[in-house]
Amino acid sequence: MNWCIYLALKQLFPTGKKFSFFSIMSIIGVALGVMVLFVVQSVMNGFQHEIRQTIVSTQGEVRIDVNNNILYNADRLKDRPEVAALARYAYGVGMLEYNNRSIFPLIKGIDLENEIKVVELQKFIKEGSLQNFDNRSIILSSELASQIGATVGSSVEIYSPIMLKAFQTNEIILPKTLKIVATYETGYRQADENIAIMMLDTMQDLYGLGEGVHGISLKLKPNIRPEKFAFELNKDLTRPMHAASWQEINKDLLFVLKTEKTMMFFVLVFILLVAAFSITSSMTISVVRKTREIGLINALGGTIRQCGACFMIQGFIIGIAGSVIGVTVGALILRFRNDIISVFAKLCGIENFMLKFYSFANMPATYRLGDILTLVTFAISICCLAGMLPARKVAKIKPADALRNE
Amino acid sequence: MNDYIVELKNIQKKFENVLVLKDVNFGIRDRETISICGTSGAGKTTLINIIGLLELPTHGNIFWEDQNAIICNAKKISQMRGKIFGYIFQRCNLIPELNVIENILFPKRITSKISISDMEFARELLQRVHLGGFENRNVWTLSGGESQRVAVVRAMINRPRIVIADEPTGSLDEKSAHITMDMIVNLCREYGSSLLLITHNQLFAKKTQTSYILNNSELKPFDYAKSEQ
Repeated sequence: MNWCIYLALKQLFPTGKKFSFFSIMSIIGVALGVMVLFVVQSVMNGFQHEIRQTIVSTQGEVRIDVNNNILYNADRLKDRPEVAALARYAYGVGMLEYNNRSIFPLIKGIDLENEIKVVELQKFIKEGSLQNFDNRSIILSSELASQIGATVGSSVEIYSPIMLKAFQTNEIILPKTLKIVATYETGYRQADENIAIMMLDTMQDLYGLGEGVHGISLKLKPNIRPEKFAFELNKDLTRPMHAASWQEINKDLLFVLKTEKTMMFFVLVFILLVAAFSITSSMTISVVRKTREIGLINALGGTIRQCGACFMIQGFIIGIAGSVIGVTVGALILRFRNDIISVFAKLCGIENFMLKFYSFANMPATYRLGDILTLVTFAISICCLAGMLPARKVAKIKPADALRNE
Repeated sequence: MNDYIVELKNIQKKFENVLVLKDVNFGIRDRETISICGTSGAGKTTLINIIGLLELPTHGNIFWEDQNAIICNAKKISQMRGKIFGYIFQRCNLIPELNVIENILFPKRITSKISISDMEFARELLQRVHLGGFENRNVWTLSGGESQRVAVVRAMINRPRIVIADEPTGSLDEKSAHITMDMIVNLCREYGSSLLLITHNQLFAKKTQTSYILNNSELKPFDYAKSEQ
């Protein structure tokens, strides 16, 4: 083993001592920083992943806004090798009335047979079933149902904008009465807040769309990038038709999520910086304390530069040890995160808060190898830099002065 | 071409206009034992620092094994220094993070790789200084005399051509000082190393073949036998 590495290891883990206080505290400092960053990043990744999954599950991967163009032949999309499934839909605002309570939800008309191939509607059904869903029934988001006090089995009346226009000409059109067959909840506020789902035929009748639709949702085959596919598709579409990937549709939300993660990293990185500063200060004191030793090593055949390298290697070793411990402890915390949270929630009397505020029963967490590598590289680099300052101080020592040092 | 291992030619050293060494011409031959005496602050330590190129002279040349060492780069100088010289200082300067055997083998680790024969040699030397069985002792548990003997063994581990001992017994009591001094002289004789001893003690200086005195920045030969007559 190279003597610089040997001496650096011995200075961190001296022979005859169980541990060196400086080494243990430095490694713990770095490990804490790495652990906190790793846990927070993984949880942020988990939240991002859950939200992305929910978006894709409720919206499909690509949506084509055909703008009521009934001439657009959606079936020809099926021939494209990238497309796994497609479903036509229409949407619009209507008035929904139940027990003299009126609300104005966004109503989505779906082609159920194809819709369930594109989005995971079944997964989000909270009460009732999709089996009874037909032209005389409706599905409400659970929040919408609770707003008007309706439950599965209740009948609601729907007024479309066409009916309101008819009132102006004193024409009386009776509202459409539909039975609630199910309620759903996705956990994605945008989808849960104010949406009612009915059959596409019913929607086309109510809104006078004829055979027209407003858009087509697409599910792509695995490993097909939605952004790229949407870009390619737009080359074939004539305006005002437009294809957009789920990333493009939700770009503001995704930007916020990404910014949140970056900001978290930026804020928590200060833990690592504080640890690095404490390493630098301890090592600088060590350089002063070991000045004679540095002179001696020079007399024994080592160069001053190699003595400086010893301090940098110490920083490197602290960085590696701290990173390994930090990632290991972080992984253990993430492994038992739900147990830890439930104990914490019980102690604070806030059980089920995850479900209440985030619609996730368990805290999501996703490790990404890229994130871990970035974090570990960052931590090791910071520790090497922390060792570089004392190393520079060593480089300025004159061997003869060091040997005279008392 | 001469038979000097180390030769100093016209060495001059100044510290901020204070002349410490003036035209020093000096050499150490193979297996020669030399002592240098002088009052405190006379420049003895500066001289041995210059001999080992731990400090550069203001003027003059230093030859190590017929090579002008001053023109060599720092790495080459360090490598040669590790092989040619073994140092013993007044303070033993053992590395506290290493135990006895690790301290002894450390110079070997710097200059080359440690082999089993090096381990055996270290144990043999420890036996010679009456520290057999101390291999795994932590250095902070040793007495001053024991620590200095470990430092003596460390200086010998590379089988240096020259052992430079800078007041090696300065921090020891008289009895320990004599024992340690005898050990240094005997080990150098036995393993074929030259000895350059810096000392205040005339008794120790008499143990060497040649003596010098450093006075008024000048290094002059000194004959104790003549001075006693």
